[in-house]
Amino acid sequence: MRSGEAVALRPWRRTALATVGLYGHFIRLAFLKFLAYRLRYYTGVISYTIFVAGHYYLYGALFASRMSETGLEKIGGLTLQEMITYVAVSWIGRSFYFNNIHRDLSRMIEDGSISLQLIKPYHVQNVMMFEAVGEAGFRLIMFSLPIMVVVVPVFGIQAPPDPLLLLWTFVSFCLALVIYSQFNFLIGLLAFYLKNIQGVMRAKMVAFDFLTGVILPFSFFPEWFQTVVSWLPFQYISYVPVTIYLGKRSGDALAEALVLQLAWAVGLWLTARWLYAFSVRRVTVQGG
Amino acid sequence: MSDASTRDRGFFGETIRQGRIFVWYFAQFVKMRLAYRTDFVIDALAVMFSALVQLAVLLTLFNKVEALKGWSFEQVLFIYGFSLVPLGLFNLCAVNLYRFADAFIIEGRFDRVLLRPLNTLAQVLLESFNISAFNEMGLGLALMIYAGRKLSLSWGIEEILALMVLAISSSLVYSGVFLAITSVSFWQEDRMGLAPPVYNVIRFSRYPITIFGAPVRFFLTFVLPFAWVAFYPATWFIGSPEFARWAYFTPLVGGIVFGGAVLIWSRGVRNYSSTGS
Repeated sequence: MRSGEAVALRPWRRTALATVGLYGHFIRLAFLKFLAYRLRYYTGVISYTIFVAGHYYLYGALFASRMSETGLEKIGGLTLQEMITYVAVSWIGRSFYFNNIHRDLSRMIEDGSISLQLIKPYHVQNVMMFEAVGEAGFRLIMFSLPIMVVVVPVFGIQAPPDPLLLLWTFVSFCLALVIYSQFNFLIGLLAFYLKNIQGVMRAKMVAFDFLTGVILPFSFFPEWFQTVVSWLPFQYISYVPVTIYLGKRSGDALAEALVLQLAWAVGLWLTARWLYAFSVRRVTVQGG
Repeated sequence: MSDASTRDRGFFGETIRQGRIFVWYFAQFVKMRLAYRTDFVIDALAVMFSALVQLAVLLTLFNKVEALKGWSFEQVLFIYGFSLVPLGLFNLCAVNLYRFADAFIIEGRFDRVLLRPLNTLAQVLLESFNISAFNEMGLGLALMIYAGRKLSLSWGIEEILALMVLAISSSLVYSGVFLAITSVSFWQEDRMGLAPPVYNVIRFSRYPITIFGAPVRFFLTFVLPFAWVAFYPATWFIGSPEFARWAYFTPLVGGIVFGGAVLIWSRGVRNYSSTGS
């Protein structure tokens, strides 16, 4: 009987090229979206410059006091000039990789619009990652570059000892973008369980600036703290790229740092993928 | 018989009526917040954690030197402790300023605010609270008492009154700055607003201003007046004669900054046109 036979439909597949095109659109859209919010970046340039300026004087005072008290020139293995460069590069990097994926994702979960994402033929995690790339591209041009133009001459920021390190620093910050975004995605996923993650987001903001080394280089802290953070992935967001810039990692150490960074990026991506698949089953839409 | 809702109550009557309503707002908020208990606890922990990180940074810096340009650890600790008290007062009702553009302008909730016969600014400020700000204030007081003891500061009536006046004035500086920034979103729609980068600058207000060069000193005193939220008022207590005089200007600065911000806000309210969603 013919009518009993199931008609074998070939599953619909998007070609690899179409996938690239699809996610490419998300990069472009995110770029355009942030173009509409230019004002915040103009003030951002001023505020980041003040930030570097504040640290410039703070460490100037610290190193001068250290010098007059003990006669030592370095603190935590860094000279004052290196320290200022450390601060400037950290903040320039942060102006590049920063995003609010966790906020956007938790908003989608809280107001239930995540359910719309579930029926679309792409993965939320991918979309958010590529939007983050678009945002980072925008930030690089409209935010990081202007900050560099102001900060580098004003505070006499050193070039890296080897010009090639500039390239490796950029590669490292790109990997940092992936790691940072996947962390944010994981934090956003908590909204499935907590419903409201304001407190978590606040803790995250402080914890990240501290654990990534943006606030102070790890070499300022006691030995045990340095051991702890060296096992955590946070250092790959800022401390590692910045120390690459400063030439503190060369040859094998540089390669090792980049490989480990890549490994964390992939590992966190897969973890986030798996946790998303696991958590999305719990979706409950509040109110409605 | 006159209709109760249109009766003219006079300024004080009206203030009392609105005050009572906002007490109900507060009670309502506490109930709502307790519904998400886990996050409530995490939020309280986050505040403590943030303060501990700041302390760790101070300790680490003073582990390297005895004094920072002549300022001892205890003095800097006292300034930091003081800064937490007005910050806590400000944080208690500043949550909505922080997300005003997103929650009120873009999502159109400001329409509802305008429909109610209550002060618009008070409605926005008092709609939600950040109860963990009490932790901030508590920690700040504890640090001031600890550092004050090391600096042999005696707490008399005069000091306590000064603390109250100065802390409230300083919180007006915080509120004024962020209210002014928030009001910009009446003209420029942007989900995040301009607050986050400015918020980051606060951390410099906790160091003695003399360690900074003239441009930063000028900026923190007159442009983005965060020197008035910690350093100037705190020096009144820790006795550095050349700055203690400046502390007397704190209430004036607070009044000017906050008053100016309220003016910008009311201009913004007049300028508001709904997103119409």
